[in-house]
Amino acid sequence: MAKWGMVIDLDKCTGCQACTTACGMENNTLPGENWQDVLYYNVGTYPNTTMKWFPRPCMHCEDPSCVHVCPTRATYKTEDGAVLIDWNKCIGCKYCMIACPYGVRFYTDEKPLLQPALQDIFPSNGSRHTWNPPYKSPHEDWTKGIGIQPRGVVSKCTFCYHKVSRAPAGVADLDEDDPNTKEFTPACVRTCAPKARYFGDLDNPNSRVNKLIQDKRGVRLLEHTGNKPQVYYLGEHGTVPEFTRPKS
Amino acid sequence: MNTNTQTMDSSGSASMLLLGLGAVGLAIGLFASGGLLSDGHAAFNTGSNVAWGLPVVAYVYMALASTGLAIVASLAMVFGTKELYPIAKRCLWLAIALLIGAFITLALELGHPFRLLWAVPAGMQTSSPMFWMGVWYAVALLFMAIKFAMVMKRDWSSPGSKAIGGITFAAEIAAAMTLGFVFGAMSMRPFWYDPMMPVFFVLSGLLAGVAFALFFTNLAYGFSQDNMPAAVRRAMTGILPAIFLTAIGVTALFVIGQMVTASYSNVNETHLVASHVYGSAPFQLALWVGLVLPFALMLGGLRKQVGMQVLAAVLVLVGLFTVRYGYIIGGQLVPMFKGTWYPDLIAYTPSATEWGVFIIGASASLLIYAIGDKLFKLPDSPDEQ
Repeated sequence: MAKWGMVIDLDKCTGCQACTTACGMENNTLPGENWQDVLYYNVGTYPNTTMKWFPRPCMHCEDPSCVHVCPTRATYKTEDGAVLIDWNKCIGCKYCMIACPYGVRFYTDEKPLLQPALQDIFPSNGSRHTWNPPYKSPHEDWTKGIGIQPRGVVSKCTFCYHKVSRAPAGVADLDEDDPNTKEFTPACVRTCAPKARYFGDLDNPNSRVNKLIQDKRGVRLLEHTGNKPQVYYLGEHGTVPEFTRPKS
Repeated sequence: MNTNTQTMDSSGSASMLLLGLGAVGLAIGLFASGGLLSDGHAAFNTGSNVAWGLPVVAYVYMALASTGLAIVASLAMVFGTKELYPIAKRCLWLAIALLIGAFITLALELGHPFRLLWAVPAGMQTSSPMFWMGVWYAVALLFMAIKFAMVMKRDWSSPGSKAIGGITFAAEIAAAMTLGFVFGAMSMRPFWYDPMMPVFFVLSGLLAGVAFALFFTNLAYGFSQDNMPAAVRRAMTGILPAIFLTAIGVTALFVIGQMVTASYSNVNETHLVASHVYGSAPFQLALWVGLVLPFALMLGGLRKQVGMQVLAAVLVLVGLFTVRYGYIIGGQLVPMFKGTWYPDLIAYTPSATEWGVFIIGASASLLIYAIGDKLFKLPDSPDEQ
């Protein structure tokens, strides 16, 4: 069984947000419900200032605090390493959102970010879905948090589990350039123009993701939390700037 | 002496007043929370940044006050502090009423409250602090109800009754500590992380419980000690205000300790939030007017006076709510991995719907208490008293 993981090369990432857009289209997320996002940071003070950007999917941690705190086991870890949510079991207590150090979880009953709200333009047709978009993922599976979201639950990145879980057994990497694995590659990886993202089996010593982590000294975010992400970052900017308040 | 015979008329008029207040409150709450019906939880100002808003603060506040009242009742019913027997039944009923109100508030905050009823026992996620919080509060409510039913049958101190009381006490302490653990264990939110939070929740819960006990007992006797039977008067001028004074002092020390420690920290997520929360006017008012002033009022002979007790109780109850609000909301104000989308502390103000949910929970508690005050002879105490 593979242990899927992602590598993001920050030296190659241009911060174009194509990954964010592809994720939203693939997974029918609403504005603001950014399962995948690129975060921008302004660091330093004039004249020594820098703008950093930082792609942030769910880290699909090895020891995820969100799974530990969920009172119903709605959030769970699959054998192949993904952290998913069973929307049929989620009670909407939002404790997982509290416990996630990476801020990757969203409540499906949030106040709409933009007006007019997409839920009003494409209203739900009497089903339990929050909305009824023109394009819907054909792989809806609420036990894995895949598809159009129901009300009152928490949603998050699934590593495009509807694709990844159908990959041929034993494959080391899911690469958009390989015709055999293209269809099973997560949307954010597949769409990344500068090829800053790689996806593969962290348990396979021959996988490209493992080689990259070794050769380019991949780092994980917030190691001190003990969550042990399965997303690794390469490049000079593998740390998130500390929180500061703007000067008034 | 059986104080059962000395129920005052004022209790009846007080319960009618509370019934009316509860009904009006419920109507206002239902009206204010109308957004919940039309927009669901989108009518809340909570979201991915501040996930737990005012309804969670209200739940914690009421649940911990319930624990405090159960502790006061247990001092008599479990630990044999006979001076507190004359108010123990009222405290027990008030604890039940507040816990039900807390549950109602939480249910209106959850995405799927009814799913909880099967998903939590089916999941048996024993690593979740929230799972245990639910277990302990459910046990506490069940055993408080059993204990109350036994007391209604005048079984105050049979071995069985004492055992039920003991289990209730243990479950309440476990529940309050676990509730503290729900927040205090979250190391990814440095403002919350505090190994002593479970202890603080129990002690500050006791303070809220004693304040409620003082207020509602005085109210039941028309805010006059002349209306009180001698045994009640003894409790209300002796041990209860003394416990109140101690609980205020301990809670104030904890709050000042938290304030100083968090403000001193080098960690931005802690000291920036600390200066924002602890430097705010509501928090400073809560500390000085809601804790220090009541402590001063209760220091000397004034603590025996009804007016001072009621004033101090009201100040403490408002102050404690502010402290809980500052802690629970404060811990969520640092945006988590949001970059320049949220370049500052998150601005959160509860919506009218959230206030409505709080008012519904509080009014439900008030109604339940008033019904008990009317029907269940709350001034009762054992015959040997």
